[in-house]
Amino acid sequence: MSLINKPVRWGVDRLRLAFPEKKSMFFKDLTFHYQKGEKILLLGPSGCGKSTLLQVLSGLVPGSVELPMKAEKLDVPESWGFIFQDPDTQFCMPYADEEIAFVLENRRIERGKMPGLIRHYLNLVGLSLDDPHRLISSLSGGMKQRLAIASILALEPDVLFLDEPTALLDPDGTTQLWQTVRRIGADRTVLIVEHKIDQVLGFIDRIVLFDDKGRIIADGSKQNVLSEHRKELDKYGIWYPGVWDRFEAENPGNREKLTGLKPLLELDNFRVYRNKEIKFSLSHLTVYQGEWIAIIGENGAGKSTMVEGIMDLLRRRGKVCWRLAKDDGQAAFVFQNPEYQFVTDRVDEELGFSLTLKKKDSQMIHEQVNRVLEQFSLSEQRDQHPFQLSVGQKKRLSVASALIDHPKAVILDEPTFGQDARNTFALLDLFQSLRKDGTTVIMVTHEMEIVRHFATRVLKIENGRLVEDLDQVTDLRRKEEENGRDPGKHGQVVF
Amino acid sequence: MGEIQGNTDKWFFKINPSFKFLIIDALFIVYLVVSNLNTMIWAACLFLILYLAVNGFSARLSFWLIILTLWVSVFSSTAMIFFGQGTHVLFRWYLVVISEESLARGTLIGLRTFIFSLLGLIMASTSRPVPFFYSLMQQLRVPVKYAYGCLAAFRMLPMMAEEFVHIRQAMKVRGLRQKGIKAMYERIKRYALAMLAQSIRRAQRTAVAMEAKRFSMTESRTYYYEIGWSRMDLLFSGVIVAVVIGGFLLSGWFPLTPYTHVIDH
Repeated sequence: MSLINKPVRWGVDRLRLAFPEKKSMFFKDLTFHYQKGEKILLLGPSGCGKSTLLQVLSGLVPGSVELPMKAEKLDVPESWGFIFQDPDTQFCMPYADEEIAFVLENRRIERGKMPGLIRHYLNLVGLSLDDPHRLISSLSGGMKQRLAIASILALEPDVLFLDEPTALLDPDGTTQLWQTVRRIGADRTVLIVEHKIDQVLGFIDRIVLFDDKGRIIADGSKQNVLSEHRKELDKYGIWYPGVWDRFEAENPGNREKLTGLKPLLELDNFRVYRNKEIKFSLSHLTVYQGEWIAIIGENGAGKSTMVEGIMDLLRRRGKVCWRLAKDDGQAAFVFQNPEYQFVTDRVDEELGFSLTLKKKDSQMIHEQVNRVLEQFSLSEQRDQHPFQLSVGQKKRLSVASALIDHPKAVILDEPTFGQDARNTFALLDLFQSLRKDGTTVIMVTHEMEIVRHFATRVLKIENGRLVEDLDQVTDLRRKEEENGRDPGKHGQVVF
Repeated sequence: MGEIQGNTDKWFFKINPSFKFLIIDALFIVYLVVSNLNTMIWAACLFLILYLAVNGFSARLSFWLIILTLWVSVFSSTAMIFFGQGTHVLFRWYLVVISEESLARGTLIGLRTFIFSLLGLIMASTSRPVPFFYSLMQQLRVPVKYAYGCLAAFRMLPMMAEEFVHIRQAMKVRGLRQKGIKAMYERIKRYALAMLAQSIRRAQRTAVAMEAKRFSMTESRTYYYEIGWSRMDLLFSGVIVAVVIGGFLLSGWFPLTPYTHVIDH
């Protein structure tokens, strides 16, 4: 009996690890332990090695991912499950039932028992599909992540490792995922790496905070760490509750009403097609200069279709009329995935690309590129390949290269998606200063704080149609008062 | 992948995939050694009928695939028809010399291409990837790492297609639409680089995720699908034998051309 009562303890002693492309050690004598039943959140700036540590603790490093590492002692739990960030690359089979069956096959479960177990695990994560034989590609991101959890549960793990499982999910998907984790994780040991922590905090009891060199700077109860290390949380871009308040206190946002507006873009009887089907339609819309328009709506409602139609990237019909002077150039567009947009091999060439296309004077291009490098804090990276940059740097570069020629309007598809708090705020400050200079900002976003604080106008899309066109300053205020919501308090607001 | 196969209830879907695969392979060899033009003509007709009867694609897709196949076949025959050697010259124009013999040989090659394509289409249009790879593992003892590796790769094809569209849009937005060979080269390089970078990363992630699900390349495992044998396999053998023998018999009964052995002529 003594064996059972003794607390089970896993972890690593004096871990040293190196990345081949970097010269310095990544972890230097890192020691970390955890016990059965603990719910732990690992926090730190992006690139500090939290994810790598999670992989070491599960044995994926060096078992599956070969990295030179050394540890005095490494205790890996006997049964564990690992949830990764990207919902699309966790599966190897085309259908949901087959994916769970894949795990059952690995465990050598008898064939006859499989269909029952598949249903059981799907029910555990709240994915009650009528027919479990459903194409994974037809599921939403949030459903895919829950399917990933279901297939991990098929391993019957004691310990769950979650590596930023909601980084690529929309707010609804995020909420449902954490509800699921709360339900299935109650009697398990859970280790979570996550930047957006407001929905995780209720569930965990211990926080480990890393600095940018991969050292543990705090390890304790969540109350202690959160209250004593605010400064680090801000510095590392963690999305802790209240971080928006701090940002919004510094940045006044857009609360004043716009007057004397000049039209910039007019859409009339506008329709956008995908595969010969109308996916978005609109009878009339006028966009004015200097507006900050937020386009909101559920996944698949047609938000991206709308902006891609405006940019003439999809087949469209109807009138699209930009009121631009000849030398204003076109509106700029920033994609969600910055990598698609890179067309050169160096950061500075990337920035100068659109200017070179316009055959501008090379001295002037050089000066302008230098200024923008400075402005977007990319000067140190100027001769790197764009693909080598960090997630935040890539985003900054893609925005910077779209904006370098001072377009009159910029359209952004979820510009802050997957970015940490620091990057998000830096981007928002930038858009704000652009708008002050007269650029019209149009963005598709899920982040309601941006909508509430910055947007001067909100377009709500539903089923491929514009269902609401709110003058933010007056309408949203009124709406909130009607709903009894306190406009000063922040939370996840879903329309 | 399942979407392009419209009707998966057809009986060719119920044949053991490994068996079908081996038979089709055997047919490749059979028609590789046939040098009787009449046999090839009849076999091409019969396989075309068989394909139209059993394929799982939509009629529209089938039509375009047949057109494409014909086009490729004609293309592959022209080299032999235009430039082959022969004594009975029918037509001469600079380097192009068409003789009776070269015409016969060219047609034979074209028909061979056509039959091979049809066989491939029959296989591809009536086999779903998952049962196919399960059958390869169970009947042909293909190592699990290859089978599941291929299945994982299948999942990535639609993602890559989607990605291609995104990159094309992004290039358009960035103003990369000049014409000319250099610009084209530059563009292809960008596409290749962006897609390779994404694909390598994706493959790496999937591999780690599979190992995290305790996928083992060496240990034994159970199977969710057990692919066995049925009467359909007998029926399939019968149909194929009938088509092949029918082709040979018809060429004896109704020889449409005098070329029974084109290589010697």
